[in-house]
Amino acid sequence: MIAHAFFFYFFSLIAIISAIMVIVSRNTVHAVFFLILDFISIACLFIMIGAEFLGMMMLIVYVGAVAVLFLFVVMLMNVTEQKLSWFRGSKKSGHIPTGLVIGSVILLELVVIVGGWKYRDTFSETKFLSFDENFTNTHLIGNVMYTEYIHLFQISGIILLLSMVGAIVLTYRKREGVKKQSYFKQVAREREDSVELVDVEFEKGIKIDD
Amino acid sequence: MPFLKFLIPELLLSISTFALLLIGVFIKNSFEIVYRLSIILIMLILLIILTSDIENTKIFNDSFTIDNFSIYSKILILLSSFFILLISKQYISDTKNNKFEYPIIILLSVLGMFIMVSSNDLILFYLGLELQSLGLYVLASIDRDNIKSSEAGLKYFILSALASGLLLYGCSLLYGFSGSTNFEEISRNTGNFNIGTIFGMVFVLVGLAFKVSAVPFHMWTPDVYQGAPTSVTAFFSVVPKVAGIVVLIKFMYLPFRGILDQWQYILVFMSIASMILGSVAAMAQTNIKRLMAYSSIGHIGYAIAGIAAGTENGFQSTIVYISIYIAMNLGAFGCIFLMRRGGKYIEEIEELSGSSKNHPLMSLSLLIILFSLAGIPPLAGFFAKFYIFMAVIESEMYTLAIIGLVSTVLSAFYYIRIVKVMYFDSPKKPFEKFKNLKIYGSILISCVFLVSFFLYPSIFNQIISNIVVN
Repeated sequence: MIAHAFFFYFFSLIAIISAIMVIVSRNTVHAVFFLILDFISIACLFIMIGAEFLGMMMLIVYVGAVAVLFLFVVMLMNVTEQKLSWFRGSKKSGHIPTGLVIGSVILLELVVIVGGWKYRDTFSETKFLSFDENFTNTHLIGNVMYTEYIHLFQISGIILLLSMVGAIVLTYRKREGVKKQSYFKQVAREREDSVELVDVEFEKGIKIDD
Repeated sequence: MPFLKFLIPELLLSISTFALLLIGVFIKNSFEIVYRLSIILIMLILLIILTSDIENTKIFNDSFTIDNFSIYSKILILLSSFFILLISKQYISDTKNNKFEYPIIILLSVLGMFIMVSSNDLILFYLGLELQSLGLYVLASIDRDNIKSSEAGLKYFILSALASGLLLYGCSLLYGFSGSTNFEEISRNTGNFNIGTIFGMVFVLVGLAFKVSAVPFHMWTPDVYQGAPTSVTAFFSVVPKVAGIVVLIKFMYLPFRGILDQWQYILVFMSIASMILGSVAAMAQTNIKRLMAYSSIGHIGYAIAGIAAGTENGFQSTIVYISIYIAMNLGAFGCIFLMRRGGKYIEEIEELSGSSKNHPLMSLSLLIILFSLAGIPPLAGFFAKFYIFMAVIESEMYTLAIIGLVSTVLSAFYYIRIVKVMYFDSPKKPFEKFKNLKIYGSILISCVFLVSFFLYPSIFNQIISNIVVN
C-alpha cells in the first residue's frame, strides 16, 4: 500500500509539474519536452492501475504525435543559430540542459517502474479496475468496443471524417497553371493525334500553328 | 437488429451525407447539386420523423433516448437548418464561398446535434457536441481569404476547445463520484449533497453556458458573429442554440435533478447577467450582425430564466421560447440577406436609413420581426416572454422576473432604434432588387407566424405538454 502511494504521488507530482511547465515555458522546444514528460508520467499512472493497454497507447500515440509536432517546431523555427551554443559561443541556449534534465527524469521514471515491478503483488491488491484476470486489457477493450460501444466508435469515425473534410476545406487551394500528368491521356494517345505528315514545297517551308 | 428502426433519421442522415460527399468529390463544380440535394435530404428526414409514430425507447444500453422531447427538438433543428439553407444560398454564391463542402459540414453538424439531443449518456453527449462544434469551427472560418472570418474561426476554436476541456473535466468528476456515465444512474447516485458532484456540475454548466453563449461565457459571440460570413452567422444564431438549450434542460432535469438548489442560483445569475448585458451592450452597436449577437445573448438569458425556475412549466416555457426565437431570427436574417448594394452585402445599421421609402415591404417585415424580438404585444415574441415570466413568478422568483421585465424594456430601445432609422431617417440609395422567392417566402412565413400567433397562442402548449424529461 505504501509502495503504491509512493509511486502514485511520484508520478502525479511529475505529471503536474511538467503540465505547468508546458504552459509557463517561453521556449516552444522546452514546452514540447515537458509535454513528452507529462505524457510519459500519465502513461505510468495508467500502467499502475492495471490499464497497461491504455498506458502503451498513450506512449505510442501521444509521444509519437509529439515527436512529429517537435519536428514541425524545429522546421518552422530558426534553431540552427542556437545549435551547440551551449558548449561554445556567447549566446546561451537552454535546449541542451533542459533536454538533459527531462531525459534524466524519464530515465528515473523508467528505473522506478521497472524496479516497481517487484511490488506487483501489492499493486494488484489495490487495483482499481476489476476484470477477469484471464483476459488481457486489449481483449477486454476489444470486446466492448465493437459491441456495447459500437455507436460511440462509429461516431468517432464520423468526427475524424469531418475533421479531414474541414482541414481540406480550409487549406486546399486550386492553383492556376499547374501542369498535371494524365496517364489515361498519355496511354490513349495515337500516332495520328500528334504527328502530321506534310509535303513541304521546295524553297517555301511550312508554317506551323501555335 | 430491431433497434435500427429507431435510428432511421440518424442513419439516413449520415449515410446520405457520405454519398453527397462522394458526389461532391467526383463531379466538378458540384456546389449547386450538393446544396439542393442537402435541402431535399433535410426535408426527407423531416418527413420521416413526422410520419413515424413515437415510441419512448432507450437503445444502446440506455444511452440513446427517443422520446417526445428529442423528437421535437430534432424537428426544430431540421426546420431551422432547412430555412437557413434556403435563405443563405444566394449569399454563399455571391460571396464566392460556394464550396460543395459547405452543406456537407452543415449536415454533419446537424447529425452531431441529433446525437446531442438524444443522448442519455455523458460519452455519447460529448461525442455529439464535438461533432457539431467541429463543423462550426470550420464554418466560421470558411471564408478563408477574409481575415475577419479566419479570426472568428480561430477565436471560436480556441475558446470552445477550452470550454470543452472544462466540460470534460466536469464529466470525469461526475463519473468518478457517481460511478456511471448514464444520466439516470448519475441522478440516482447523486441524490444527496456531494461536493464532487457539485464541482462536476459547475464545470459541466460552464461548458454548456459557453456553447449557448450565456454571460459570463459570451465573449466570443460578437466577434464570431461579426467575422463569420452572414450565412454562417445565421446558422450559428439559430441551430446550435436549440441543441445547446435542449441539452442544458436535459442536464439540469436529469442528472442534476437532485441538486436543484445548487444549480438554481448559478442559472439565475447567468440569466440575469445575460439579459442585462444583452440589452445594454447592444445599444452601442452599429453593425447589425454584432447587434444580433448581443440580442441572441439577451434571448438566451430569457430562455435560461425558464430553466432556472426549476419546474416543469419552466422548461416547457423555455422550449416555447426557443421555438419562437427561431422564427424571429430566421426572419431577421432573411432581411439582412436582402441588404445588398452594388454586389456587396451591407452590415451597417445606418445603411438601412429611410429604407421604408424604397423597400416598404421589407421594412414592414423587419419592423414586425424587431417588435416581436423586443416582446411587444400582440406579436409572438410577447407570448414567448410571457410564458417565461409566468413560470418564473410561479416559482416565486420575483427578483428574476422584475430584472427580466426591466431588461425587456431596455432592449426594446435598440430594436426600436432600428425601426426609427428605417422609418424616420432620410433615405439612402435603394438596395439592389432581388428576385429570390426563397428569401421572400421565408420572411413571409416568419412574419405570418409572428403576427398570427396571438390567434391561437396555445398551439405549442398541446405539443409541449407531452414533453417531460425522464
